[in-house]
Amino acid sequence: MLVVVVGISHATAPLELRERLALDGPAALGLARALQASGGACEAVALSTCNRTELYMYARDSLAAGQAALELLAGRAGCSPAALAPSTYSHSGEAAIAHLFRVVTSLDSMVLGEYQIVAQIREAYDSAREGGCTSVVFNRLFRHALEVGKRVRTETAIGEKPVSVSSAAVDLAEQVFGRLDDTTALIIGAGETGELTATHLRARGVHDILVTNRTFATARDMERRVGGRAVPIEDLEGHLAAADIVISSTSAPHFVVTRERVQRAARRRRGRPLFFIDIAVPRDLDPAIADLDGTFLYDIDDLEHVVARNRAEREKEAVKAEAIVTEELTKVDAWLRTLEVVPTIATLREAVEQIRESELRRLGSRLADLDEDQRAQVELLTSSIVNKILHLPTVTMKEVAGRDECYLYVDAVRTLFGLNGSGSGSRAEQGEARRAEGEPTEGGRGEAERAEAGRAEAGSSEAAAPAAAPEDARRADGVPGTGGAGEPGVATR
Amino acid sequence: MEQVSVISLWIALLLFGAAFALFIFHYLSRREQMNLRGVAVALAGWVALGVALILRAAVAERLPIVGAYESLALITWFVVAVYLVLELFTQVKKLGLYVMPAAIVFLGVAWSSYTAPAGLMPELQSDIVVLHVIVMFTAVGALYLAGCAALLYLVEERLLKRHRTGSVLGRLPSLATLDRLVYRATLIGVPFLTMGMVAGGIRAIAFGVDDWLVDPMVLLSLGAWAIYLALLYGHLRGGWGGRRAAWLAVAGLAVMLVIRFAAVPYWSGFHTYGG
Repeated sequence: MLVVVVGISHATAPLELRERLALDGPAALGLARALQASGGACEAVALSTCNRTELYMYARDSLAAGQAALELLAGRAGCSPAALAPSTYSHSGEAAIAHLFRVVTSLDSMVLGEYQIVAQIREAYDSAREGGCTSVVFNRLFRHALEVGKRVRTETAIGEKPVSVSSAAVDLAEQVFGRLDDTTALIIGAGETGELTATHLRARGVHDILVTNRTFATARDMERRVGGRAVPIEDLEGHLAAADIVISSTSAPHFVVTRERVQRAARRRRGRPLFFIDIAVPRDLDPAIADLDGTFLYDIDDLEHVVARNRAEREKEAVKAEAIVTEELTKVDAWLRTLEVVPTIATLREAVEQIRESELRRLGSRLADLDEDQRAQVELLTSSIVNKILHLPTVTMKEVAGRDECYLYVDAVRTLFGLNGSGSGSRAEQGEARRAEGEPTEGGRGEAERAEAGRAEAGSSEAAAPAAAPEDARRADGVPGTGGAGEPGVATR
Repeated sequence: MEQVSVISLWIALLLFGAAFALFIFHYLSRREQMNLRGVAVALAGWVALGVALILRAAVAERLPIVGAYESLALITWFVVAVYLVLELFTQVKKLGLYVMPAAIVFLGVAWSSYTAPAGLMPELQSDIVVLHVIVMFTAVGALYLAGCAALLYLVEERLLKRHRTGSVLGRLPSLATLDRLVYRATLIGVPFLTMGMVAGGIRAIAFGVDDWLVDPMVLLSLGAWAIYLALLYGHLRGGWGGRRAAWLAVAGLAVMLVIRFAAVPYWSGFHTYGG
């Protein structure tokens, strides 16, 4: 069983394709369900944000699951899987989990350190869980991933400093004025960055935004968009006296605000600081303004500089985040390995026990003349032989659980004893799922497993139950691991 | 018990040192956790220092206000108390990096001028002296803080003007916060300073101290008082801006420190009990 992810992101696909694959809540759940229904996945979660669409699956056959996912995505995108394939990526096993962790920590995001992704993953997971698409593995894996996201945000400063010009400007304004609640902003000229900054300022609580422009009509337009108040440009000095934050982005070829003007306005400001942001090229604000007492002047270069440094800082923090991801990965890995070991042991014991029982049944007629006591002796003898034989493999498996080479042992045991039959595999998972709901103790596990075995036996006809006796299924098709391709297992879920 | 008191003071010193280290680490790593841990450790140090002072008071059977050892330890306690209140209950955060070194230096000087506890000399056995001392300590705590905030204000303003944002953003309180802190701390400090000076004057007259008015310490105190009044006047009248107020608070701090570390121990004719 492996975790598999197939998806597209800003790194591999253009916006146009991402748009076609954007999934709303119900569509995402539908896709996860389709993956389960097609038999490719035991558990599935579909994640869709504006920068990525990804399908996470827990599947026995990672290639088949990947193919199924690709086909579903292609279906939605309205193209052939072969056409979509170059724009997608897929990872399986540890790489898939690493990918999930990198996504949740924003290491894979377009803007390093953005934090919406945690909420988006939480939403995707919650919806899949409520829709019954997740079980033991994904419940634990996604919760762990969300924890990793949280950990990176508390232990690193990856998302701390702004990496856009407009939010850097707002940050600087806050450094001067503290809370912006009782400040007034003045926007001179209509420009995209100016407008964006105004929106940021509004979001941080600036209580009054004055908008002015050479043509008053344009100011009126902007007034509506940013939720401000259009004022005539003629009384610029008055506005300068009233405002605390001035953002200028006109296309004027000369300085719109000169040092003298600010000086005159400053007399009316009674010493309150004045923060200027010049986004225009060529500049609107006389650089000499910065020499005045209580004024701060930042132009576009300064802001870009701040942004560049913040971005560099985030990249430095990203190294720490990667280390955290690696560390967390080993935790999950150890857990996933034990997850494989326990059902393998259980299946092994079950399979051998079934051999013992069927052999005893076969001998039934010849044992008929034994008395009760002798039969009990035979029963005891065979059981003890089986247990003795299985003792060392069981102990060894438990020992290696959680170690790197654990996969080898699981594979070896499954191959040598022919345990890869779909029936037994899915049964082990069912047992696992049920156990996780109850008490995950050793005793509990054994009991669930025994109950399972008992039910299969009670069905007496060995092919009756979907979870057919693995032994016979294997005998029937001779090749381990191909019988039924997981179909019965899914059907019974 | 005196030994326990001294050990407790030592522990406080160590804890302040640890808190300082955490604040440095916070400054470098910008991990919020580090600041919180630093505050917790500083709080523990503050409690330890409180224990030291209480034990000392118990041994001497009076308030711990006599001699450099006691008075400096008490001032440290006041300064850290104000810092903790700001950090825990107001928006003024992340000052630990600047307060802790001051606390460490003060405690270090206190420890180096350790004297065994003694009873109160007869000259000091008066209610007005106790009042004078307590009021003065409160004033000193508040005004030191105003001075530190003003220093930070001036540094931060310069950095912002020169676009050196890397060392400012997220590492210092905003200019507005510091400006408010300077004003409010001064507003608290000045009435206490006034009361303390009046109490001191009354006591000097009552005991007939010669030439008390021209004592260097008294003159310096009057100077500091005038500076702080000017600061408050400027703020109330408006139009002074944060810069001028900050410079005044820094000047006030300089005078206060001269009083504490030069006038009291060396120059003052009659005021040597403090240390």
